[in-house]
Amino acid sequence: MKVKTRRVLFAFLLVLVLVAVAAAMMVIGRGHTVYFDNKTLEDYQGQTYKAFEKVVVTVKDEQVAKLAKRDRGMSIWIGQNFKMILEVTREKGGEAEIHEIDLKLPYSVDGIVINLPALLAELPEEAWFSEFVPAVTEEPAEEVPGEGDDFGLGLEGELGLEDGLGDI
Amino acid sequence: MNGKKNIPAGKRLLELVRNNAVPIMFIIICAIFIPMAGFSPSYLLNEIVTRMGRNLFLVLCLLFPIMAGMGLNFAMTLGAMGAEIAVILVADWQIWGIPGVVLAMILSIPFSALLGFICGTLQNMAKGREMITSYIINFFINGWYQLIVLYVMGAVIPIIHASIMLPRGYGIRNTVSLLNMRQCLDDLLAIRVAGVKIPVFTFLLVGLLCLFIVWFRRTKLGQDMRAVGQDMEVAKAAGINVDRTRIISVVMSTVCAGFGMVIYLQNIGNLPTYTGHAQIGMFCIAALLVGGASVEKAGIGNAFLGVILFHMMFIVAPGAGAFITGDSMVGEYFRVFLSYGVITLALIMYEAKKRMAKSKAGQELAAAQVKKEDA
Repeated sequence: MKVKTRRVLFAFLLVLVLVAVAAAMMVIGRGHTVYFDNKTLEDYQGQTYKAFEKVVVTVKDEQVAKLAKRDRGMSIWIGQNFKMILEVTREKGGEAEIHEIDLKLPYSVDGIVINLPALLAELPEEAWFSEFVPAVTEEPAEEVPGEGDDFGLGLEGELGLEDGLGDI
Repeated sequence: MNGKKNIPAGKRLLELVRNNAVPIMFIIICAIFIPMAGFSPSYLLNEIVTRMGRNLFLVLCLLFPIMAGMGLNFAMTLGAMGAEIAVILVADWQIWGIPGVVLAMILSIPFSALLGFICGTLQNMAKGREMITSYIINFFINGWYQLIVLYVMGAVIPIIHASIMLPRGYGIRNTVSLLNMRQCLDDLLAIRVAGVKIPVFTFLLVGLLCLFIVWFRRTKLGQDMRAVGQDMEVAKAAGINVDRTRIISVVMSTVCAGFGMVIYLQNIGNLPTYTGHAQIGMFCIAALLVGGASVEKAGIGNAFLGVILFHMMFIVAPGAGAFITGDSMVGEYFRVFLSYGVITLALIMYEAKKRMAKSKAGQELAAAQVKKEDA
């Protein structure tokens, strides 16, 4: 094989490998914020699923939330196969039950809200799953970066005295 | 060897001091400032180790253009800009942790390589004035970067998340949070020794780059680069494609700078969109020069020593400034003034040394001619 052909082939293979790694990273690195609601689900197909007395949520061996009635907790998760352990006390003074939960998180959703009473009642996904939509707040008009004097001169940028200077 | 032995010890010492004036000056400054700042040794060590992990990769990427005789590559900032665009996209796609860092590094390659190619081509048009050319290219490309980030992103390039977009609906905010990838490389395999956190994985990456540089110097391309760096005409006569070799050195430098910038940003945990890259080139060059490098000669050792000394000065200067004047802001100004000052000093010393060597060679030639005529 000619040197030039070999070089082109090598470059092509390298690009292919990099694209494959990038694609893999996009799948395994997708981050989600998972919210846990310990709230009563009212009137779902004529039934009410009551909030638990206490729920302790453990994700990756770390206790991320301790929820009383009507509480919401959260955890961040990288990837689509979400695992958590729930320690549920249904009624005051009752025994705690341990549940190991495996969920498949949808790739396209950033924030996922899980209603724990509905999830543990093994209801269909539509009952316990909803997308977290951040509240839209009116923000004060932000100064457009770069606007200033004609040459962008100023004490901050030019002397390198911006906030991050101490962090070089 | 014998010639060296014949030189008196005093003269040799003077020569040593003259050759290492900048590192010696910084060692003295640090020695004076450390007790004034009053930091504990473990705090200083912790800070130095953190900053080494953060900056070494960026400083090492400057070695390639020096090898090819193109001086200090102020255009490493272009690689940083490429990395910042990649990091913005990764933050918008919500790819977190180590996969996010890896993806940002891969995505930065085409941006950095393209910008490096443009820079190398322009530098070839301005042979002998590479440093000032690369410095001005920075401003030129920075304008394009601002245009893309401020107007194209969100308007043409889709940006999904409002959290990184300006409230007007296009353009990227002044600061992009990288909280979900913060220190993910540094924490991987990290160990604590006497209260000092050592980011083992980051140091492994730096070590890999060092090994690559050592190996690369011995390859055909590395030898070509050194030959071009020593004398372009001779290299050309030897059949080396000088322009291509020089472009490759700049591309390698900008691509490595892109990787270095991703490592830097994951350590900091946020991206100052419009200013993040601005000072990087200057501070990395200053650090390399503080380590005893010159415009035409630099090694891995210079990068390590430079980062340690330069950042030691950065850590202790505000404390020392506060101790001397009662105002820590003076220390802030002092360290900025010193970093630019050291670049100026190193450039002047390099030029003075070059002229001295030239005049010495001229004198020797004249003396030889006189001797020949007398004979």
